[in-house]
Amino acid sequence: MKSAQPQKVSTKIFIVGLPNTGKSQVYNNLTGGYNLVGNYPFTTVEPIRGRCRIRNHDCEVVDTPGLHSLLAHSEDEAEVRRLIFREKPDVIVQCIDANRLKQSLVLTADLIDLGLPLVISLNAVDETTRQGIYIDSKELSRMLGVTVVESVATQGIGSRELAEAIFRAGTGKPLKCQPRVTGAIEEVTGGIPDTTPFRRLIARLLMLKDPYLFNDLQKDSDGSAWVSGVQDLSAQVTGRFNGGFAWDVNRSRSGWIDEMTGKVVRRHQVALKGLSQTFADATRHPLFGVFILMGILLGMYYLVVNVANNLAGWMDAALWVPVHARLDTWIGPGIVNEFLIGDYGILSLGIANAFLTVLPILSVFFLAFNVLEDIGYIPNLCVLTRRIFEKVGLSGSAVMPLVLGFGCKTMATLTTKSLRSQRERYIAIYLIAFAIPCAAQMGLNMSILGHIGVQAFAIAFGVLAGTEIAAGMILNQILAKEACVDYIQELPRMRMPDAAAILKKTYFRLKSFLDESVMVFVYAAAGLFVADKIGLLGGLKVVVQPVIVGFLGLPLEMVDALILCMARHEAAAALIIDLVGSGKLNNIQCIVAVTLTTMFVPCMANIAAMIKELGLKSALLMTLYINMSAFLIAGTLNWVLIWGRL
Amino acid sequence: MGHRKEKDEYLENLWYMREHQTEVLTELQAKMNGQYVQERMDELVSEGLVDLDLAGGKVRLSVEGEKHARRLVRAHRLAERLIHDAFGDNFESGACEFEHIMNLEIIDSICTVLGHPKECPHGLPIPPGDCCTRSAEMAHSAVIPLTKLKIGEEARIAYVNCANDERLHKIDTLQIRPGSVIKLQQTYPTYVVECEGTHVALGEELASSISVWRSSDSSVDASAASSAGVGYGRRQGKGRGWGHGLRRRLGLCRKEN
Repeated sequence: MKSAQPQKVSTKIFIVGLPNTGKSQVYNNLTGGYNLVGNYPFTTVEPIRGRCRIRNHDCEVVDTPGLHSLLAHSEDEAEVRRLIFREKPDVIVQCIDANRLKQSLVLTADLIDLGLPLVISLNAVDETTRQGIYIDSKELSRMLGVTVVESVATQGIGSRELAEAIFRAGTGKPLKCQPRVTGAIEEVTGGIPDTTPFRRLIARLLMLKDPYLFNDLQKDSDGSAWVSGVQDLSAQVTGRFNGGFAWDVNRSRSGWIDEMTGKVVRRHQVALKGLSQTFADATRHPLFGVFILMGILLGMYYLVVNVANNLAGWMDAALWVPVHARLDTWIGPGIVNEFLIGDYGILSLGIANAFLTVLPILSVFFLAFNVLEDIGYIPNLCVLTRRIFEKVGLSGSAVMPLVLGFGCKTMATLTTKSLRSQRERYIAIYLIAFAIPCAAQMGLNMSILGHIGVQAFAIAFGVLAGTEIAAGMILNQILAKEACVDYIQELPRMRMPDAAAILKKTYFRLKSFLDESVMVFVYAAAGLFVADKIGLLGGLKVVVQPVIVGFLGLPLEMVDALILCMARHEAAAALIIDLVGSGKLNNIQCIVAVTLTTMFVPCMANIAAMIKELGLKSALLMTLYINMSAFLIAGTLNWVLIWGRL
Repeated sequence: MGHRKEKDEYLENLWYMREHQTEVLTELQAKMNGQYVQERMDELVSEGLVDLDLAGGKVRLSVEGEKHARRLVRAHRLAERLIHDAFGDNFESGACEFEHIMNLEIIDSICTVLGHPKECPHGLPIPPGDCCTRSAEMAHSAVIPLTKLKIGEEARIAYVNCANDERLHKIDTLQIRPGSVIKLQQTYPTYVVECEGTHVALGEELASSISVWRSSDSSVDASAASSAGVGYGRRQGKGRGWGHGLRRRLGLCRKEN
């Protein structure tokens, strides 16, 4: 760090902390980049890297997924630890939510044990101050032996001080255990070769029976004998505590934390229960919570139907119709015309759809969804819905990934890493991929069904919910039972939404949609155009006619939508909106089409995430099952609806 | 009946070894930390408390010895729960002394006051006594399961039954531990508690493994303590701490005046 040629030496900075403590916000503040921030755990599921210059030093900043301590409880926490062990960062920045100082100090104790330079960013001090709680950061800094920077990350307050502190970072004072415990740890440390980094910490984690560390060590050391040796030694030494080693260690740490907070925290006034807290309680309440959820869904529905649909209609009329007319006369009939603005034209089906149909709907929906995310509403849904998911064999920890599926199914699939049980992981990944609409799909579904009315929306989502529960129950029966895992979930503090933050987030969400999909829209349109011209599309339609028209009761044009679905769900939705607009889909067909496309082929990114988590074979098999079920369910729905109308 | 205390150590270790199915002589010798004396062992054998198979290196409690050891272990583990968790004090030797003195009635009344705990702080099972089967005496308990609180009620955690290390670590990192103040916010569809400034949703099993002081018994200064992980979660310094109510009940407060 103190190199004479700072340009050549890159300082590696790791940002770590408990879930939902503002790590991504600090990352954004340091690097000037943008990593999605949100008021819920698991916003960041994969480490994000960025480069920046801080005080003329070249820095690599790594934003890591949240963890509670270096003792891993799940695969995702083990992965963060592996990353730290492997890359040995030059500085670690721990983000602490000032509201949760005690909980964070558990991790601080572990980080100090790493022996790496550490800085603490004490976030959300504005919130504690408002509650009349004062944290003496100087005293905290003195007791821990590391710099503590007070900050309000969401407003960028304290960023400059943090950047300064990073280059003065030192190692902290480790907590002292009872001599008996310390002696035992020393003894096990002796069994680890001197050259191994983080020996003392490794010894302690092994003694606490970390479920991942032993395998990791074996892998890293290519099965050296010392690994099993030290494992035996650890079992032998902890055996002397008659099973109470973990308890003794925790006890020392609790004492350390209590002593620290006792000296550092002062309370000036008794906090009153705020309005946001009352609201938070209501969202979890079995009765009010359901009403609030219904209200939110309806509110978003009407927002999409009344605002977004009109906006899209207006943009189409103002921006596309005149352009289309002018192009039409200018080019004249022929193949060029068809290629650009025909049924499968790259401008009409590609560009215009992406910008004029999908974009306005997504803008409105994301704006509303981001408000929900930022106030911290989403995790409360877990409390409300856990009982239902329990019936389908999910113990509760799996509910969070499922609920996150309503945001982005790909991210949600990746968060299943936090589940200990393989069985639950499989069920959760299946259910996420199956009938949960992601935020984009949800917004578009609302828009399509909004042309018919709210009862259509109720039917389609009733069917999807029923499908999800039935699928869960079947999987629950099929898969081998496993021991139940405890359900425990922290719920974030409700916060007032910040307009600037939400606009920024909506902007980045829309930008990433455009970056990822505009070209996909264009290629898909071009592909359909070619397939149509060479007769492939016509042939395919003849083959699948019995299924599409006979069983599903849909017009043949839906084949185009299903093909687009494979490329990008939004593209299919846009085509369905067109079909509805031109009167080619009646009400029943509309409902069937929406349920079908919601379930049909999870998007490519989701399939990639499934492959990553489950392996190629399982993931592809799962996709196959899902597609078959999608057709069966949508077809059945078609006949039930027709029968119901007679 | 010489060397009673010393012999009790052997019996207790044998109980522990029975729980872990490691009933071999070498293990017992290791457990005694080099203070193993063959003479004591011979005495235990002649008293009919221990079966020893010197040739096979096997050693185990006899039926009679098991009865004796069960009482010792029960007293010891209850005492641990009482001293370490409930009082929040840390006198290491306390529990070891307790087990030799106490008679059955005192042990059962401690068990009742503590709400018939099932495990010692280290997660080892406490052998149940007669009082546990007559659980109607719950009315006299100073400690009740969290699930018995009313919604909105606050109480101080007395102890947590940790079936496994994983559960212990998980809830300890969230500061749900003896001495913390916990507030029950909601019971259905999921338990929601507030502890040290964080709201936490818990499954039924986990929620019922948390035991708290009945509010009239604990000197919870509720308004000052909870509502923030930055609060004064625990008693500061000595004096009339939160175990005071219990001490008064057990008549242990005389010294304090």
